[in-house]
Amino acid sequence: MTSLGLKSLWARKVRALATSFAVVLGVAFVAGSYILTDTIFAAFDEIFSESNKGVSVVVTAKNPVEQESGETPSFSASVLKPVERTPGVKQAAGAIFTQGAFFDSKGEEIGSKFAPKFISSALPAGLRAVDYVEGHPPRGPTEASIDDAAAEDSDLKLGDRIKLVGQTRARSFRLTGFTRLGSASFGGTSIAQVTLPVAQEITNKRGRLDQISVAAADGVSAQALKRRIERRVPSSVRVETGKENADRGSEEIRDSLGFFQTFLLVFGFIAVFVGSFLIFNTFSITVAQRISEFGMLRTLGASRPQILTTVLVEALAVGLLGAAIGIGGGFLVAAALKALFETFGIDLPTTDLVLESRTVVVSLLVGVVVTLVSSLIPALRSTRVPPIAALHAFTPVPTRRRKVLYAGLSILLGLVGLGMLLAGLFGGGGAGARAGLMGGGAVVIVLAVSFFSPHLVRPLSAIAGWPLERLRRLLGRLARENAQRNPGRTAVTAAALMIGLALVAFVTVFAAGLKSSVAQVVDENFAGGLVIQNTNGFSPIPNGAAVAAREVPGVETVATVRSAQAKLLGAGSSALISAPSRDIGEALNVEWTAGGPEDLRRLGDDEAILSNSFASDHDLEVGDSFQLLTQTGARPRFQVTGEFDSKLGVLGSILVTQAVMARDLAQTQDSIDFVTTTPDADEAKVQALLTKGVEVAFPTAEVLNQQELKQQREDQINTLINLFYALLLFAVVISLFGVANTLALSIHERRRELGMLRAIGMSRRQVRTMIRYEAVITALIGGILGMVLGLIFATLIAQPLKDEGFTLSYPVGSLIALLVFAAVIGVVAAIYPARRASKLDVLESLQYE
Amino acid sequence: MNGQVVVATDLTRRYGEGDAAVDALAGVSTSFERDRFTAIMGPSGSGKSTLMHILAGLDKPTSGTVELDGVEITGLDDGELTKLRRDKLGFVFQFFNLLPVLTAEENLVLPLSIAGRKPDQQWVEQLIDTVGLADRRTHRPSELSGGQQQRVAVARALVSKPAVVFADEPTGNLDSRASADVLDLLRRSVDEFGQTVVMVTHDPVAAAHADRLITLRDGKLVQDGAPGSAEDVIELMKQLD
Repeated sequence: MTSLGLKSLWARKVRALATSFAVVLGVAFVAGSYILTDTIFAAFDEIFSESNKGVSVVVTAKNPVEQESGETPSFSASVLKPVERTPGVKQAAGAIFTQGAFFDSKGEEIGSKFAPKFISSALPAGLRAVDYVEGHPPRGPTEASIDDAAAEDSDLKLGDRIKLVGQTRARSFRLTGFTRLGSASFGGTSIAQVTLPVAQEITNKRGRLDQISVAAADGVSAQALKRRIERRVPSSVRVETGKENADRGSEEIRDSLGFFQTFLLVFGFIAVFVGSFLIFNTFSITVAQRISEFGMLRTLGASRPQILTTVLVEALAVGLLGAAIGIGGGFLVAAALKALFETFGIDLPTTDLVLESRTVVVSLLVGVVVTLVSSLIPALRSTRVPPIAALHAFTPVPTRRRKVLYAGLSILLGLVGLGMLLAGLFGGGGAGARAGLMGGGAVVIVLAVSFFSPHLVRPLSAIAGWPLERLRRLLGRLARENAQRNPGRTAVTAAALMIGLALVAFVTVFAAGLKSSVAQVVDENFAGGLVIQNTNGFSPIPNGAAVAAREVPGVETVATVRSAQAKLLGAGSSALISAPSRDIGEALNVEWTAGGPEDLRRLGDDEAILSNSFASDHDLEVGDSFQLLTQTGARPRFQVTGEFDSKLGVLGSILVTQAVMARDLAQTQDSIDFVTTTPDADEAKVQALLTKGVEVAFPTAEVLNQQELKQQREDQINTLINLFYALLLFAVVISLFGVANTLALSIHERRRELGMLRAIGMSRRQVRTMIRYEAVITALIGGILGMVLGLIFATLIAQPLKDEGFTLSYPVGSLIALLVFAAVIGVVAAIYPARRASKLDVLESLQYE
Repeated sequence: MNGQVVVATDLTRRYGEGDAAVDALAGVSTSFERDRFTAIMGPSGSGKSTLMHILAGLDKPTSGTVELDGVEITGLDDGELTKLRRDKLGFVFQFFNLLPVLTAEENLVLPLSIAGRKPDQQWVEQLIDTVGLADRRTHRPSELSGGQQQRVAVARALVSKPAVVFADEPTGNLDSRASADVLDLLRRSVDEFGQTVVMVTHDPVAAAHADRLITLRDGKLVQDGAPGSAEDVIELMKQLD
């Protein structure tokens, strides 16, 4: 029976390949996600280990609170002396390694916008990790070198001038060298080197260091040297061997990029989930078409388990084949994903593509398990074929009782899914568990809707078919009737499409809500005027920009906000701490729920103001006191003097003074500046002056009016949803193949009917139109279901966000566009089946039984 | 208004190539008069079905020509053949070949719907009356008996008033009672509506309803004349065997 399964598979190679294809696409996405992220990790491993080439021991500051920017605090340069004097140290040197931005002589930014750029100090020869492929290290205060990838990208030559922006006014340097570190590509990340004093100056770290690199004398082990140094330096710094430091870097990257792997895998599993519908449908139809064959086997004495085995062996083979091809396809997907992210301005570091054995195991497992599970119901159905089916046509008709049972079960399942979703939304527990509950609930709801959808095929196809019937009476009618003829089959095909489209609808609705909320926040909270922020929209800008802005005629006040992450002592999780300047009330409409503007203006260094949601989450009230743990290791204590409404998105959870921000959180840069103009000033003129005055000296800063700010935030959201759309496209393409596959198999079954229609005068074009309409109706059923599901999900998930100022809006235009998109999918899916149907030989089809 | 509706000249049809080649038709010339009911008979493999398929433009001869209502059809492309089938041909098949998703009446007017023509309601009513399904017009094929379905199929073939109706074993799947109804209907279409009918059959009773019987054997025309009674036809077949 095993060999029969394989033989029957071989006999229908084309269909086997079509079925495998669904497995291939899903597995390829999963494998590709792993391959890409493993490759990125490998690239980082290489970068980190190369950076510590020849370095025995590394000294860095301890970093008790991780910053969103990834920056670590600096430490006093006085630590260098005791290190240098430690016996066994051959050479030791301090270094700066701080994020900044680079510009060429035309003012164009060097490197990709969203990747970090580092200003570092050139190390002496013995400790230098980078190789100079051209030129020499910077020697004087006006010399700099840059990595050769960035140089090539921006077409820089030795002797060219570049501008570096750290935490001060941009400074111009002459390029004296091009560097390379190992063989891995950094992606968009770039490193410029200047001399140590210059680096300290432009990063505002005079007398401070980010790192000390130590080379051991001959015969001294790194471990021994590490222990010796540890005894001589203050406890605020961390001493590691070069290898430990590189390993920690690798591990931190894996932690912080773990979300990226999960993110991609989620899309991979969506693709697999959609594929499983396709597999289920193909096996169902195959089993239906082989009923007389199974009947014949039963008359020859085959047992039910034997029939089951033949079908399952076929499924196993399809799954294995699909998974094997899918792993190969994973390499293509990895490359495609990398290219996709590049078009969105995200340049990922890479090295040779990495295929871990875990990727192979997971891919094979996913392919085989999904195929087996999806084919189980059709396989069980095949065992119910009675021997008599060999002799005459036998169509297993689901009994009424079974139908009612299925409908009841699917409703029950839907309620369970809804319960899970709601528990995830409103219940307690960790963010991971809640996200899991919500995701699981969504999957269960999708399954429930799929099981129930055969009952919806009739009304939905009537709706979807209505315009087509108006357009072409008979063909529209026949298309609709054909779509309704086998509701189960149409339903599963449409449900596969529904999944992708539901997610598209969800993203669309959710993003529309985000956009309108952002616009609302800006409108309601900004008291007019202009803002100055980083061109990338999130990094801080040098505080000199605000100082310069105050000098511009027509400017009344420049309120600044500085931000950093810190931990509430005893609570564990990180919170965003903001330090607004005392005049922030001039530029922002802060809504007070306790205390008032006076409290902010007179805020003391031991006082703090909380957002109302943070206060209620942590059970804090005015008069209570709490302690923070900051990235420098400080543990300042504060008393709560007021509360403000957290709907205001610009400020974080805790407000402290800028003095505390500088002292305990080591943050002296502005995250955003608010500019108000004098009553008689023309805002547009002021903006032009500001732009001229600020953007030249501080090229990372840009001046925006309210409209531009809204637009910029909207653009950011649009970029993000376009990325989602692109990733979801994969699932949609799989379901497109599902529509085509179902159609092709249905046409095969209806050949004689098509022959008759052709014989009584239907033209080829009419046949094509009829098939195309059928596909459009099927796709629209998926589109309508998906849209409704997406709307429901978005509405539900928006509920708990209402407190944060999230308002839902339904983008009618986009939703109509979604339905049009679904119809287009139908048209595309029908191209091949419609062609085949119209080319059927009339006579052969009529004689076909 | 008599005259030849279909004229076939020197038709040959060869299947396969080389040693395996089979001549289904080995030079057949014949013609069919208007307003006549002709039956084509012959043992299995005699070429009777092939002849009909070629006459109806469903198959192409290896050599020879077919003229249908003044049009030479063997060289037509698919589009021209489609138009020909709409305007000049009606078909009745052995398996009823109604669309299961349409009602009896919708199936009946299907050729007109496909051609985008408005049915002549009086003619449709007359047809429904003639086939005796006035009370079943909204039923789906699955709710009709085999005989009823085949009567709908005959009416469908007549609805566009084609130049000729080809019937391929129209009673092959029916019991004798239903067969009689269908044959009666075909006969009446010739007598009352002036329809031309060509029917392939292996049933002597069916053949006896025709005005003319032609018989094929091994791809050649071996007999052409009035069929007489069913007994006469059986006798004739015996002689030919």
